[in-house]
Amino acid sequence: MVSDIIRNLKKDLVIEFRTRVSFAISLAFAAISTIAISLVSGGAPFTDLVYSVLFWLILFFSAMNGLAHVFTREEEEGTSLFLMLNSGSDSIFLGKLVFNAVFFLILETVIAPLYLFFLQVVPASPGHFIAVAVAGGLAVSSSTTLLGAMVARAGGKGALFTIISFPVLLPVIWVSIAETAGSLSEGGAMSRGNVVFLLAFSALVVAISLVLFRAVWETE
Amino acid sequence: MMPMFIVLNILMTATIVLAFLWAPSAEILGHSSRIIYFHVPVAWVSVLSFAVSGIMSIVYLRDRNTKYKLIEEKAHASASIGLAFTVLTIISGSIWAKISWGSFWNWDPRERTIVVLLLIYIAYFILRAALGDSPEKRRISSAYLVFTMAVMPFFVFVIPRMYDTLHPDTIINTDRKIKLATEMRLVLLLGALSFTALYINLYRISVRIISLRKTIEEDDDE
Amino acid sequence: MKNKTNNSADLILEARGISKKFGQQRLFRDISLRIEAGHSLAVTGPNGSGKSTLLRVLAGLQRPDAGEVAIHGKKTAGAHGLGDIGLMGPLVVPYRELTARENILFAARDDRDRDALFAMLEDFGLGPHADKQVGSYSTGMIQRLKFCLALAGDPSLLFLDEPGSNLDEPGKKKLYSAIGSMSGKIIVIATNDRNEFALCERELRLGQ
Repeated sequence: MVSDIIRNLKKDLVIEFRTRVSFAISLAFAAISTIAISLVSGGAPFTDLVYSVLFWLILFFSAMNGLAHVFTREEEEGTSLFLMLNSGSDSIFLGKLVFNAVFFLILETVIAPLYLFFLQVVPASPGHFIAVAVAGGLAVSSSTTLLGAMVARAGGKGALFTIISFPVLLPVIWVSIAETAGSLSEGGAMSRGNVVFLLAFSALVVAISLVLFRAVWETE
Repeated sequence: MMPMFIVLNILMTATIVLAFLWAPSAEILGHSSRIIYFHVPVAWVSVLSFAVSGIMSIVYLRDRNTKYKLIEEKAHASASIGLAFTVLTIISGSIWAKISWGSFWNWDPRERTIVVLLLIYIAYFILRAALGDSPEKRRISSAYLVFTMAVMPFFVFVIPRMYDTLHPDTIINTDRKIKLATEMRLVLLLGALSFTALYINLYRISVRIISLRKTIEEDDDE
Repeated sequence: MKNKTNNSADLILEARGISKKFGQQRLFRDISLRIEAGHSLAVTGPNGSGKSTLLRVLAGLQRPDAGEVAIHGKKTAGAHGLGDIGLMGPLVVPYRELTARENILFAARDDRDRDALFAMLEDFGLGPHADKQVGSYSTGMIQRLKFCLALAGDPSLLFLDEPGSNLDEPGKKKLYSAIGSMSGKIIVIATNDRNEFALCERELRLGQ
């Protein structure tokens, strides 16, 4: 099974690397938003909460741009049937899940420094900042993988993915925003428990998604 | 169906009468606290409908119309009722908020949960509509309900971790605890039962419509 | 990982009373059949009569509205990692961004002899193009690749939907002789082509 997952992951990585469009769009969107905010605010300081909200908003919309792609591409290219014939649904799901997590973490790795640089913010607790970014990123990417599959099967119209993801992502983003805000200044309110919460949420979501994916993936 | 309807009539009338005439008014809020007998049961039904449609979705996904027919349609019916009640919860809650705390909306934790529930319902209906008449429609919308149902408890538990609540645990009386007079408790319970009966009646009417529609469709086929 | 029959005497494809609608349109009703190892069936009928759908239902990729399909005595329902079948048809599309080699390695689930797989590509005239992305192939090349991909996992059951389409005469000859020389497999071909029809022992006609 692990080799199957790796096989799927490799295939998706190679294909996405060769086309590169989707990743480029998400990255460009995030970069442009960051620069635009910095430009418009003209260096005026925001509160920690506002910095945090903007950061996660940018990440959220970049995610909405890119996280369904790994499934919608299969539908658009017509390769779903070929995929179904050659791989078990569990491996497909887990392969795409890891892909999404990697995609989002790479995105964060590029955007976070860019954001911090352009908005001239230095987190007082960088360890916590990173921990929240990673845990939140895992939660976002794991929650949306199954939803991306659903949207792909529904014809993949753009806004649909955002609509069905939002209620599920709300708690994740809310917690991530609060914790990121806390990590920015000295004496900010931080809770390791919330990072654990995000990780636990990711685990739960992966388990449920795995079971539901079988029903979503089959064709009738 | 008649007996349930009669039960509903009796319960609801009793609730309305007792809520306004018999239950004592609360310490601080006075008569405006009577909204509790309607707001809380309506909120309860929103959640009940969600749970029912979620469980039916699980049954559908495992059964696929072999033993239990029309169950996905029934889940959809329950969700429709739930959506309506969620909107009512938000409206009644806002009215009460305005009276008690001076503003219609405060983003306190319970308000957040109910908004998330509203968003889930809306997303579900849009998803189901987007799937049109495809064979996938029932499976995928059911999967969405199950998924959100599984995720909701997590959200509900996040809230106490994050904030203190403005919600009435703290307002009904000065002690910041739920200390309802016995009469109030009774009427509240009665209210919960009445609105559950209302839900059941609405649900059964919907199911009847679904079955009739199905029968007409099948006649057309032949 | 693959469910392989060691004993080809176990290999039976059975359908009992299967029916399928597409939306409101009835495609086929109450079809029963039984095919054993080493035997083949041609499914014929006008366009739109449901040949491709029947193939997919038999392959276990789609659920019938009524009845059941069993392979190796086990019911097939939904798609949960089909191990032992190969399907080829207009709807089975390989990855355009991958090369033929990469596609076939993916289809073989990595546990087959690479050399044998690459030799098969050579055999079907894809050798010189094997390292170019499939997006650059002609339709004839893609068709031949699809056949190789269907065989990649060495399946016991082969479902071919109009296998000769998009192929020139030499391509068709090669394909038909490959099909004809198979042994011990169950082969179902959906077609209206006389030559393909002749490859099979029995016929099931749809759309009457």
